[in-house]
Amino acid sequence: MIFDVCVESFPYVAGLIINGLVIGVIYALMGLGLTLIFSVLGVVSFAHGEHYMIGGFVAYFLLKWIDGFPPLLAVVFAGVATFVIGAVFDRLFLRPMHSGRVERPAEYAILVTFGFSFFLQYLTLAVIGPFPMKAQRFLDWRIKPLFGTVAMYSTRVVAALIAIVLISIVLWFMYRTWTGRGLRAVSQDKDAAAVTGINSLNMSTLAFGLGTMLAGMSGATLVQVFSWVFDVGVPASAKSFVVIVLGGMGSIPGAMLGGLMIGTLESLGAGCFPDPNRGMAYKDAFGLLVFALVLLFRPQGFFGRKL
Amino acid sequence: MRSLGAPSIMTIVLLLVVAFAAPPVMSFYSVPPYWFHVAIVAYFYAILASSWSLLAGYAGQFSFGHMALMAVGAYTTGLLGRYMSFGVVEGIVSGTLLAGLFGVVIGYLCLRLRRTYLALFTIAFSEILRLTLMAEHEFTEGPDGLPLTPLFATTSKVPAYYAMLGLLVVSLVFMYWLVNSRFGLFFRAIREDEEAAAAMGVHVVRYRVMVFTISSMIAGLAGAVEAHYVEIITPNIFLVLQMSIVIAMAVIGGLESLIAAAFGAIIIHFALELLRPVGNWRMVVFGLLLMLTLRFFQNGLLHPLLQRMFRQRVLAETVAKRQVPSEG
Amino acid sequence: MKLELRDVSKYFGGLKAVDNVHVTIDKPELIGLIGPNGAGKTTLANLIDGVHKPTTGSIWLNGARIDGLPPYLIAQRGLGRTFQVTRAFRRMTVMENMLVPAMAVRPNAEKRDVEEKACKILELLTIEHLRNELGRGLSGGQQKLLELGRLLMLDPHIIILDEPFAGVHPKLQETIYGYIGQVRSQGKAIILISHDMDSIFSLSERLIVLHNGAIIADGLPNEVKKESVVIEAYLGKEEGEGDDA
Repeated sequence: MIFDVCVESFPYVAGLIINGLVIGVIYALMGLGLTLIFSVLGVVSFAHGEHYMIGGFVAYFLLKWIDGFPPLLAVVFAGVATFVIGAVFDRLFLRPMHSGRVERPAEYAILVTFGFSFFLQYLTLAVIGPFPMKAQRFLDWRIKPLFGTVAMYSTRVVAALIAIVLISIVLWFMYRTWTGRGLRAVSQDKDAAAVTGINSLNMSTLAFGLGTMLAGMSGATLVQVFSWVFDVGVPASAKSFVVIVLGGMGSIPGAMLGGLMIGTLESLGAGCFPDPNRGMAYKDAFGLLVFALVLLFRPQGFFGRKL
Repeated sequence: MRSLGAPSIMTIVLLLVVAFAAPPVMSFYSVPPYWFHVAIVAYFYAILASSWSLLAGYAGQFSFGHMALMAVGAYTTGLLGRYMSFGVVEGIVSGTLLAGLFGVVIGYLCLRLRRTYLALFTIAFSEILRLTLMAEHEFTEGPDGLPLTPLFATTSKVPAYYAMLGLLVVSLVFMYWLVNSRFGLFFRAIREDEEAAAAMGVHVVRYRVMVFTISSMIAGLAGAVEAHYVEIITPNIFLVLQMSIVIAMAVIGGLESLIAAAFGAIIIHFALELLRPVGNWRMVVFGLLLMLTLRFFQNGLLHPLLQRMFRQRVLAETVAKRQVPSEG
Repeated sequence: MKLELRDVSKYFGGLKAVDNVHVTIDKPELIGLIGPNGAGKTTLANLIDGVHKPTTGSIWLNGARIDGLPPYLIAQRGLGRTFQVTRAFRRMTVMENMLVPAMAVRPNAEKRDVEEKACKILELLTIEHLRNELGRGLSGGQQKLLELGRLLMLDPHIIILDEPFAGVHPKLQETIYGYIGQVRSQGKAIILISHDMDSIFSLSERLIVLHNGAIIADGLPNEVKKESVVIEAYLGKEEGEGDDA
């Protein structure tokens, strides 16, 4: 039984954990984007996965249409594109909520971002069509199996490495630059920040744009790994929710820890499940189950503010 | 409360007559049965949209698990029919009850969850259900689809049309009564300000669970009936997307009005069918319409329209009544 | 009617918000509850009302223990309260606002009787003409009056008014005075939390002073206001204590 393999075979489990961490880094990046949006705007964007999806497609088409286009640049372009989309959306649809002109802000935020997700999915479907696409691997690098037996997916490792770089840049930005500090100030206390001259409306747009940018870049790194199609953002959204709730909504270290944990949990869950086929099918469910439990028993997650 | 004035009752009766008389008229003009199918699905969506508007619009519980509960109803009747030889009626009743049970459980679990967390939790529930249905495909047939006994032993769509229409009317009447009763007051008080409602003696636990249970049962019932009509069900990979469609219908119709939500669903569904030649772009427009409605017409598009139509006549009536006492 | 707080304390984490409060209310009287900001007045109200559970101690209403019960059960037993920030039901009409507590407490009552009763109360509060207006269409002052009226629909024995005079203009204050007088004459007990010293001293029959969560005085208003602990609490420590020269 596979279950025995998990208990007895250290390399197998180690392999699962490592592969889990690898994908977890990208989950962390996605979660980082969403937690940033939540911490500054107080809103959970239900369209987060769709920015991931669009980022992937932007990268895909750049790589496809322009010969020799550097993949890293494709990731950057994807980020810019999704940043613009996010910023425009915030400006048009969320700003009235921030300025208090909307009657029921919590409901509105949920519904309008949900509507945006719907819109983006169908727009993509209408423009690009329903057939899955996949980009070529960024780097022609094959990794030898670790410990001789653990298979490593080089595409995912490449994606994870890019993600690590991006996360580092974001952290540097948030903790070492004026704008970043401004964002953190607004996330802690909008009015207090306003008194110091920070325009919280612009900060909100910036935060939303950055959040969607991170999602887009996550997608761009993974378009070489997975098949890409218009609704690939749906599970990505779900995973992002899981990550930020586990780590604590609004917490940056929480998002990173949450991402790694969910990646590992999924990997171990699928790999150690007695029936390998079922394990794979239920892969996403492990994170969701943890998510549901956290929501019920410890909604603030690891590092979140107590509700 | 909102008691119906004469003009409203007349309009409703008129609409009912039209709806019930439609099949013979359509048959007379040799309208293809396809349009019966469109109508049946439109009524199905109307039931879902109005029951969701009860849950979200009236009681303020923004649950994204509504379609999942519909699926519970559908799969219950399907699985019981297949493995325990349940008949159509028994299957539908069981589906409704089990969906209600899930509703009770979710209602209790969600008691301490506020808006966004409730939405997230119910999305998780919906996804877990879908994944389970897919994973246990030996049992549920997964994406291949679970076949069901037909609703009526006939190829004509007319009986199914009346069944779904009847279901829509009955559930609307029930929900309308509910909303105008003291329960409706409590639901709305809970939506407005749960703490203040509690301070006013409203049994928050009981009524939150109640509204979840009732709306779940209606969704499950609709799902079970629709399943037998369509004769096959899959753990629709678009479960979340279907939820968006229902939400969009309810919002565009008018979240705070059962009738507007139901009408919104019917009109939108027919519009989408009519626009089929345009392809996926009609959904893009639909999505855009949803966003614009939220942004500029928070009370929906249909609801204010209906209110204006009826308020003018009610006003005229009230003015007329006020003038009468001066005589004699 | 009898409300008893026995050695009630409330901690929020390490912060002691209410400190060993022991109080008995067993007759209809108007009790002023005062204290400097942060003294714990609203927390005390929240404890009595069931919004919070006491960390230690117990609360008894008419011989039955009520701490730990959810607020709606406590409300149904005849204890009503208002909040510092007005919380009228905005998307419901004034009449509907009034109906909610009435229906909650007595589900089988005849709607007509309930509406009549509501109209009388609304008249007393000078807002009867607004009965079909939505809560959000009312001015702040009118919403306050609505809250006060809504409270009475519970048929409470004891009511807690949390800062009813905050930010109201004199005309409105008169109406509220009238309301309080009426309620008092109906044999109910009122706990009045307020910073408005004039109102407190002109209305209260008994005065309780809270400081750092503990009761430092409980008695007749004119005597309490002379007690040095009370004066100290409001004005701070005497000079020379605690500060470096």
